[in-house]
Amino acid sequence: MRLTAGIHIADTARVVTRSEAYDPPEYVSWQADASVLREWDQTLDASRSRRRIVDCLTPREHLDLFAGLLRFRFMDTFLKRWVKQGVISKAWLGTGEEAVTVGSVHALRRGRSGDVVGPMIRNAGAYREMGMPMAAVFRSYLGTGDQLCKGRDLHIGDLEYGLVPPISMVAALVPVFAGVALAFKQRHEERVALTWVGDGSTRTGDFHEGMSLAASLALPLVVVVQNNQVALGTRVEVHTRAPLDKLHVAYGVKGYTCDGNHVLDTYAATAQAATDCRKGRGPVLVTATTFRMGGHATHDEAEARDMLPAALFQYWGRRDPVGTYEAWLERSDLRLEEGAGAWVQERDALPQERRERNRFLLAEVARAAQEEVERAASEALESRGTAMPDGSDVDQGVYARACD
Amino acid sequence: MAPNEGDGVATYLEAIRQALWEEMERDPRVFLMGEDIGEYGGAFKVTEGFLERFGAERIVDTPIVESGMVGAAAGAALMGQRPVVEMQFIDFIANAFDQLVNFVAKSHWRWGQPMPLVVRGPCGAGVRGGPFHSQSPEGWFHHVPGLKIVQPATAYDAKGLLKAAIRDPDPVLYLEHKMLYRRTKGELPAEDYEVPIGKAEVRRQGSDITIVTYGAMLHRSLEAAEKLAADGVEAEVVDLRTLLPLDDTTVMESVRRTSKVVIVHEDTLTGGIGAEIAARIADSGFEHLDGPVRRVASRDCAVPFSAPLEDAFMPQVEDIQRACGELVAY
Repeated sequence: MRLTAGIHIADTARVVTRSEAYDPPEYVSWQADASVLREWDQTLDASRSRRRIVDCLTPREHLDLFAGLLRFRFMDTFLKRWVKQGVISKAWLGTGEEAVTVGSVHALRRGRSGDVVGPMIRNAGAYREMGMPMAAVFRSYLGTGDQLCKGRDLHIGDLEYGLVPPISMVAALVPVFAGVALAFKQRHEERVALTWVGDGSTRTGDFHEGMSLAASLALPLVVVVQNNQVALGTRVEVHTRAPLDKLHVAYGVKGYTCDGNHVLDTYAATAQAATDCRKGRGPVLVTATTFRMGGHATHDEAEARDMLPAALFQYWGRRDPVGTYEAWLERSDLRLEEGAGAWVQERDALPQERRERNRFLLAEVARAAQEEVERAASEALESRGTAMPDGSDVDQGVYARACD
Repeated sequence: MAPNEGDGVATYLEAIRQALWEEMERDPRVFLMGEDIGEYGGAFKVTEGFLERFGAERIVDTPIVESGMVGAAAGAALMGQRPVVEMQFIDFIANAFDQLVNFVAKSHWRWGQPMPLVVRGPCGAGVRGGPFHSQSPEGWFHHVPGLKIVQPATAYDAKGLLKAAIRDPDPVLYLEHKMLYRRTKGELPAEDYEVPIGKAEVRRQGSDITIVTYGAMLHRSLEAAEKLAADGVEAEVVDLRTLLPLDDTTVMESVRRTSKVVIVHEDTLTGGIGAEIAARIADSGFEHLDGPVRRVASRDCAVPFSAPLEDAFMPQVEDIQRACGELVAY
């Protein structure tokens, strides 16, 4: 099975082409907008310390950030395709919000004994970016038994990769991650706990309690408020009167704001927050403003279009986090080939013009991302044929130690 | 002074202190979290002197955040720590309901992660505490797969069950009855011991009727049993100790011996633990019964403040005695 959204190097306009069937309409004939790109640069230049963080990114790290955005986008596209085909009933997507997840995760120390994250389901791109094979995400949607959650929950996690599974009561992970951070602090480990919440879940008691506790104990906790401007079906201005970028004041902690569609800005803001935490200056609230380019899930995209002003879709559609980063990278004078590894060497004969070469490199990244997603999806489909749970042990494992 | 330096006789409260102290000495992963437990020493002074010995990193004073602390205990437990959360009064556990039933209790079943944490706190009525400082919350949680619930009735069990709870890989609600804190005393062994979770104990042997109970009601049941004995009725008294999972074996063995059962609990009647026990007995012990399974429990209302009201609300020795007498005569 191949994605309709393919890679066409011959297309001079874009590296990653769009699909009418699966992309939001604003993305279908997406073109880099000069004013948006100027804005992108202004955002980078607005903070000297963030600029320095971004300047330290190697070409390889840039390409990997780009790859991360694409993996997330393509994974979601694949899930949408499955919904359309009736393979699954619905999917919760990060379309338009990928940069919040990818930028944050890439700013952390990943791997064994590294930082620990707790995604919302809308941050499902975090799984792969933390190192979990993407097939696990597809398997979770199919409910197969050959994974840690054994089909018992769609939400998955694995501490091997520093991943705590989401819980549907969003922001319940804020206290949990205060506890993760508490353990780090008690053991004097220089690790950071990070979790995301939506604009809607900043209203919960758990957000408040978790932040209060973390602040009181000065814990190395980063909470990213992913303000996508809507809580399922209620607009942010209806559910919250307070400015979300000022919430940190109430807790007496540091707060950063960033452009949630600007992967380098979310990366840099998270990096700042993580550094603060490692230096004992946590917790930190990072507010990333973005926009949900679809429904709460695949089933209510039409309702979202009805409810939210079209102008919002247009405004944020021009700021597609994938497209803008692609355009920026393409035009950048980074020596991207240095991050590309061996495969670029044999293609020295290509035109030397940098932009063309960058386009080529980015296309290669996109191709690899697409292949990874397709491979992961087909592995998961295979599991569906061979490894569905049979129900005989459904009530086993309720306790780690049963009382007999 | 370390709480285990004494003549071996300790109050129920002292037994809890000893268990906490010794477990903290034994295992650096164990830490305490709660409201006013540090400098202030806890509302019931259970943790007095702990801050000086173990420091602020392990005696964690929190803001008023019950859900926050249970969530944080869960996060710390996932990272390999062994948190013990104190609810200042167990009634406040209602504020942490979501964390307990949704995140904590489902963890091992959902993704294979053990959740070694303890939530402990003073429960129970009889001290004129009113509707928000007297409740028996076990019924709220008895329906939640993944939790373990214990309630000691003696000083020996208070220590041994708390140690077992702290060492257990699963989340344990440890309900300590505030009526027993200073009224109940017992000899505690000098050596380390645990009271196994999931095991009931026969406190009094008898062949005429079985009383299944736990917590403060054990003492009232034993008192009732003595009064019944004066009338020639020998009651067997089973102390559940662990409420979830229930020790069906011990209960059923006693039922087979006596053929008559009264279940006594301080929690309110409807949907209480007694209903579950009665159903299980009906299910697998029906042929051994010589009469209906009776329940003596608190009335179906909130715990009242005023003394005569509270006395009328909860089971008294006479209520237990009467129920047993009627059933024996059945």
